[in-house]
Amino acid sequence: MEIPFLDTILWPIKWVVELILVGWHYLWTFIGLDPAAGLTWVLSIVGLVLVVRAALIPIFVRQIKSQRKMLEVAPQLKKIQDKYKGKKDQFSREAMSRETMELYRKTGTNPLASCLPLLLQMPIFFSLFSVLNNAQKGQAGVGPLNAQLGEQFGNATLFGVAPLHDTFIGSWNNGGPWQVMVIAGLMVVLMTASQFYTQLQIMAKNQSPEAKASPMFKQQRVLLYILPLVFVFSGVAFPLGVMFYWLTSNLWTMGQQFLVIRNMPTPGSEAAKAREARLAKKGKLEPSKGAPAIESIPEAPKTTQRQQPVSKNRAKKQQGDKK
Amino acid sequence: MTSVVTALVLAPRNLAVLLLRAYRAVISPLYGDVCRYYPSCSSYTLQAIQQRGLIVGSALGVYRIIRCHPWAKGGVDDVPPVRRQRYRLTPFGFVVAASHGKG
Repeated sequence: MEIPFLDTILWPIKWVVELILVGWHYLWTFIGLDPAAGLTWVLSIVGLVLVVRAALIPIFVRQIKSQRKMLEVAPQLKKIQDKYKGKKDQFSREAMSRETMELYRKTGTNPLASCLPLLLQMPIFFSLFSVLNNAQKGQAGVGPLNAQLGEQFGNATLFGVAPLHDTFIGSWNNGGPWQVMVIAGLMVVLMTASQFYTQLQIMAKNQSPEAKASPMFKQQRVLLYILPLVFVFSGVAFPLGVMFYWLTSNLWTMGQQFLVIRNMPTPGSEAAKAREARLAKKGKLEPSKGAPAIESIPEAPKTTQRQQPVSKNRAKKQQGDKK
Repeated sequence: MTSVVTALVLAPRNLAVLLLRAYRAVISPLYGDVCRYYPSCSSYTLQAIQQRGLIVGSALGVYRIIRCHPWAKGGVDDVPPVRRQRYRLTPFGFVVAASHGKG
């Protein structure tokens, strides 16, 4: 982080990151772990993830709640979708997005989280990155991480050989230690696996039929196969300490998603049907919440009776009457 | 002569257009549709920069990102329109003089 402007913005976040790290480190040391050991620092990073992700829970819950509220506006949403059915040109798409967004706003059911949760995590990520980077040079942090702790953090090694600040590419160029490469490789595999699992869970089980038919869904599918590549590249370039943050965060997402899909599935999705089946087995199904409202919209009644042929004049009149 | 001046005036915003297009093609899809507004923050910023230039456009974009949080109502939020549209957009999104390519 050589950019002064960015440093100024990141300063308060860095300070908090350091405070949480040092706090957990203090706790682990208090319990009796070696303050200079790599494991202690890894556990401190895990603690940092726990605090950050727990702080983001309210945002997540809010999002789930508005998704539930979507049930109520589903008929209106369906109306908009029907209006633009089969219209694939850019202007119709745009008009449809506009109407959908306006509906969300009016009814207070916006299911989108905004990019704030992502934006919030990014500086934390960068801060951890720069904290590790500075610590590696034996520098103190901006606040609670004093010179002594900074040096300790910078020198901390896993299994006595793999420094937390080391990267795969770094140890590759320096001809070792090979343990760094093994640990980094292992973490890339774990990260890919957990991300794959989370994403697959959402896509296979927690999507309404409408969402599955949308072009976004196809985009998500492509993403499923691109993300592992992202992990491989970052796994090569990022220090082990940062990787531990990312991995733990991924695991948290996996667990959180599992609970949500199990207990609060998207209405109309496969997970919702599975939940109904589970509840029905136990005899605890609430009838009001059971059936997905999206499918229960009555279609225009189809008459099987043959229409009598009418003269042009009468046909015009009849059509006029209908409208 | 004037076309050279126009090109120079438009250079910063066109550079920003290129960057934003790259961001929207490569990074945006990574986390999918999350914006609570229409147009999305990056699309809004792109339009703002195209219409108002790099400085005012970026400021509008930053202000939009600040307004876009989980407690915002969201909805349709277009770039405040400019009084007079002096330039033309290429299909890619670059800003050129209105007479560009004609004479």
